Amino acid sequence: MRARLLSLLAAGTVLAPFVAPLPAQGFPKTPPAPMPLAPAQFPPFQEAVLPNGVRLVVVENRKQPVLSVSLSFAAGSVTEPGTKVGLASMVAGLLNKGAGARNAEQFADAIEGVGGGFAASAGDDFLQLYVNTLSRNAALAFELLADAAIRPAFPEQEVELLRTQTLSGLQLERSQPAAIAGRTFRQALYGAHPYGRSATEATVKAITRADLVAFHKARLRPQGALLVVAGDLSLAQARALATKAFAGWTGAPAALAALPPVPARTQAELILVHRPGSVQSNVLIGNTTWGPADPRRYAATVANEALGGGSEGRFFRILREEKGWTYGSYSELETRRGAGAFSASGEFRTAVTDSAVTVMLQQIRALRDAVLPAQEFADRKGSLTGRFPLQVETAEQVANRVATARLLGLPADYVQTYRQKLAAVTAAEARTAAAAAFRPEQGVIVVVGDGQTLWPKLKGLARSARLVDVEGKPMDPADLTPKASTLALPWDRLVARTDSFEVRLQGNPFGYQVTRLERDGAGWRHTDVTVLGPIVNQKTVVTFGSDGAMQSVKQEGTAQGQPMAIDVAYANGRATGSAKTPGAQGPTEVKVNAEVPAGALDDNLLQAVLPMLPLAPGAKIPVTVFQSGKGTAATWTVRVDGEESVTVPAGTFATYKVAIDGAEQPVSLYVSTAAPRRVVKVAFNGVPIEIVLVK
Amino acid sequence: MPHVRTGRALLAAAALLLPLAGQAQAPRTAIDSYALPNGLRVHLVEDHSSQVVAVDLWYDVGSRNEVPGRTGFAHLFEHMMFQGSANAPKGEHMTRIGNAGGSLNGSTRADVTNYYEWLPSNRLNLALWLEADRMRALAITPENLKNQQEAVKEERRLRFDNQPYTGALVDRLPTLWDAQGCFAYAHSLIGSMDDLNAAKVEDVKAFFDLYYAPNNATLVVVGDFRPAEAKALIAQYFGDIPRGQTPPPVRCEQGLGTAARREVVPDRNATLPAVLMAFRIPAVNHADYPALELLGTIVGGGESSRFNKALVRDAKVALAAQALVNPFGPTRGPGAWAALAIANQGVAIDSAEARLTAELARVRADGVSEAEVTKAKHAYRFGKVSERQQALPFAEAVHFAALFLGDVRAVDTDLDRYDAVTAADIRRVAERYLRPENSLTLVITPEKK
Repeated sequence: MRARLLSLLAAGTVLAPFVAPLPAQGFPKTPPAPMPLAPAQFPPFQEAVLPNGVRLVVVENRKQPVLSVSLSFAAGSVTEPGTKVGLASMVAGLLNKGAGARNAEQFADAIEGVGGGFAASAGDDFLQLYVNTLSRNAALAFELLADAAIRPAFPEQEVELLRTQTLSGLQLERSQPAAIAGRTFRQALYGAHPYGRSATEATVKAITRADLVAFHKARLRPQGALLVVAGDLSLAQARALATKAFAGWTGAPAALAALPPVPARTQAELILVHRPGSVQSNVLIGNTTWGPADPRRYAATVANEALGGGSEGRFFRILREEKGWTYGSYSELETRRGAGAFSASGEFRTAVTDSAVTVMLQQIRALRDAVLPAQEFADRKGSLTGRFPLQVETAEQVANRVATARLLGLPADYVQTYRQKLAAVTAAEARTAAAAAFRPEQGVIVVVGDGQTLWPKLKGLARSARLVDVEGKPMDPADLTPKASTLALPWDRLVARTDSFEVRLQGNPFGYQVTRLERDGAGWRHTDVTVLGPIVNQKTVVTFGSDGAMQSVKQEGTAQGQPMAIDVAYANGRATGSAKTPGAQGPTEVKVNAEVPAGALDDNLLQAVLPMLPLAPGAKIPVTVFQSGKGTAATWTVRVDGEESVTVPAGTFATYKVAIDGAEQPVSLYVSTAAPRRVVKVAFNGVPIEIVLVK
Repeated sequence: MPHVRTGRALLAAAALLLPLAGQAQAPRTAIDSYALPNGLRVHLVEDHSSQVVAVDLWYDVGSRNEVPGRTGFAHLFEHMMFQGSANAPKGEHMTRIGNAGGSLNGSTRADVTNYYEWLPSNRLNLALWLEADRMRALAITPENLKNQQEAVKEERRLRFDNQPYTGALVDRLPTLWDAQGCFAYAHSLIGSMDDLNAAKVEDVKAFFDLYYAPNNATLVVVGDFRPAEAKALIAQYFGDIPRGQTPPPVRCEQGLGTAARREVVPDRNATLPAVLMAFRIPAVNHADYPALELLGTIVGGGESSRFNKALVRDAKVALAAQALVNPFGPTRGPGAWAALAIANQGVAIDSAEARLTAELARVRADGVSEAEVTKAKHAYRFGKVSERQQALPFAEAVHFAALFLGDVRAVDTDLDRYDAVTAADIRRVAERYLRPENSLTLVITPEKK
């Protein structure tokens, strides 16, 4: 009946192409049912093996004259030594920084000049190179890919540039709670297995040019490498271009060392990473799962979609839409060549963190305890199967899916049958798979947040719980409460002074800082004006008595386009007032009304007081601070990391390099060793900004 | 979700360059074009290479249609389109498309407001039904209006009032044009807060009746559908929506400028001064437009551009320097070609301005090299050809050809206009349009707090 009606309408449109057919019926008041789904055809692709052992996959698609080519090796971070974590990523980052006859600049010009791009990166299991361009540049694309994979030069200067950038990135991560949570989570889940490792300053510094050359020579070999070509090129053309570009390239990668087993947990562990004064908490809950070919993955994917997949999942609907505790909360099943993982994540206000963790655990259990209601199950599964065509719309998307399946060693028909297998999952199977995949009782709960508030509320949520600092070192819960300061500072030796600094971005002038210490009645007034290009513009005034007792702090200005203000008075052992500080989701305002430990310094005064501390090689000095922008007290540690000679416009100084553990923005301060001591340079870790003393 | 397309990404000039589609060697795209009796224009592009369909509905309304006292209505209205309709209560549009595995959005530009769904092809009917339901019976209530007036103000606070340079650009760049002769383009896209506050339900209803009628809309469907079935659905869902009145024509009388103008704009979010030199240029369908766009790429697009090399790397007078071509979207009226530099700390804005002026004078006097032209064409072609791989970007390109170039077939031929540009053309358009007497210079200075 339906078919006949349609064919009549079709005939009508042929006869009168510019007059639309009359409406067959009125506008329906309810949405139409899905139209029949054509059999889901995975787009065709072809495979071959080149004489040197490179596996070739071609997804020919002549729709547009574009081409994408990728080349993958089993050379991910699992293959690097534990003392050189970061080696695979550095190799990937250097492949196009001088290769074949071109230096880094010429390589970039070659691909950008014809319209296109090149990229390379290393993950846990694989190292991959990609080129995209118009198909008329196919020969150049293969030439550049072959140069980068076979003939990288690893110039010393590029190695050091990338090392500096990598170290800056690591330092920046220490200020990013999501990165701290991820590192802690991986380490707890995978233990000594390479999936549990993260690069550190020490492992990155240990990497030599010889290591890079040796890794490249051992691991980037043709035997078993995967070359995937997508777009306007046939298998025969791809084979011919690859054969020419890869001429003379032979050999197999070195055998992979056996990997240690993934630790088996019998009970849940909670790890609270203390981030003093954090107004939000990052939560990661999860456990290890199974290898990539496990048949339960389809049913588990549907269960995961219902739990935390996108804006229709339970986490999002309950934690954001109903409770308003977060901007978003999600869950995912991570697939690796070895054991994968289940992870549930969210970022919550400190005050509701324990409630949010409780709700997340409840919802995880609910997926195992009861079969999903029929409508919810149908909607979530429908979303997953419906989305699939949008994920294979372009030749490049198709190629990526085939490449992933081949690299992970999935069954030969995996990509073709994926959607049907998802569609065949029943609600009962989803429940059984949820029980196997979501096991926080044998997993880990990582929370990065303010330990002082959270430890008492969270420690009971798992059979075992431990507290660590942002470096991962164990902490005694007793250390969470800031104690009265035991520092005796020589306040009577203070003298009025003004210091002028220049702010530099990558060595160019970018702003200034002026600090002034002056008498204010019987006490002191310290004024700090800081301008960092368009990023920060602030003025801070702190007053304190001749005995060092804090009296008031006033700050005003803008940071990253957001207004900031602090107006806090210190009296009778308390701080009262208000503060507005910038944040990722707009300014945060807090009412300040808190007890202040005896001898605490306002955190805005620390730079000024630093030269008065008993600095010496290897010194670690606990300093009790009141963070007036957050309204909480904390104990920070001033640590002398070494001695360096520093040249700034004001002259050349022998200095102590000082770090402050506990402060939000990691910085290195350089304090002259000779009296009168002064701060002569401040470097912001992870960003190319320096403040240098002018006079 | 709904958003204004404006010059928000000041430091990403390339992304702001106009979308123009087409490809010389490609076979002609088969486009089935027709209109319903109520005036809804339809363009269907059948493509079974994937099981995906894009439903892209453009209403011929943008900030250019606003009149004094009613600015910001086009954008306010776009927000109202996500507040529910007769048979799809608030939130249901998004949930249903999400459950189908698809995505959706809407955006307001100077010349047009668009709404799209991008989803698996067997849910074409759902996307068409949802679009038809809100075209025929949008829920315009005082509560929804109040709610969205606040949402638009919050969007302004977050995206413009709180960002350096953006507010100055959005509010002052339109003064490049003359409000007497061309109010259509000479006012801000986000509108005045007073006008938005004054909006009443009757005003919004009148705006809807006038501009959101089928005769003022164009529907493009690209992807995997059977034409007879798609046409039957379009006829059933949209066919009985009544035709509206014909909107009044947009008036814009505007030649090139005759005297250099200069304005100092205080900006309370900026900490570094900036200079924007803007020039009047013709509409996107004008013969000179492709050369002007490639000129923008050569002097001010990316790391290897002339501005970046001269001002940022060599002289170190600017933190950033780039060219912006039509930062508020393509227009059928006059356009804007602008050079922007943000001064480095401690550098007087005059020296950055002097360098920019010198670079522009150099292009006018000496032109550009063949190699620069070729590189700019390659980058342009790769971007345009890549867009055609997916249903939604291609649907946007079809709309662009129909509305801005006046011929839907230009989706195949427009790249020819870019390929034909020579170094001599670029020198000629630089000489013709980048003249001091055709310019507005905005000197944006940090406001004292």
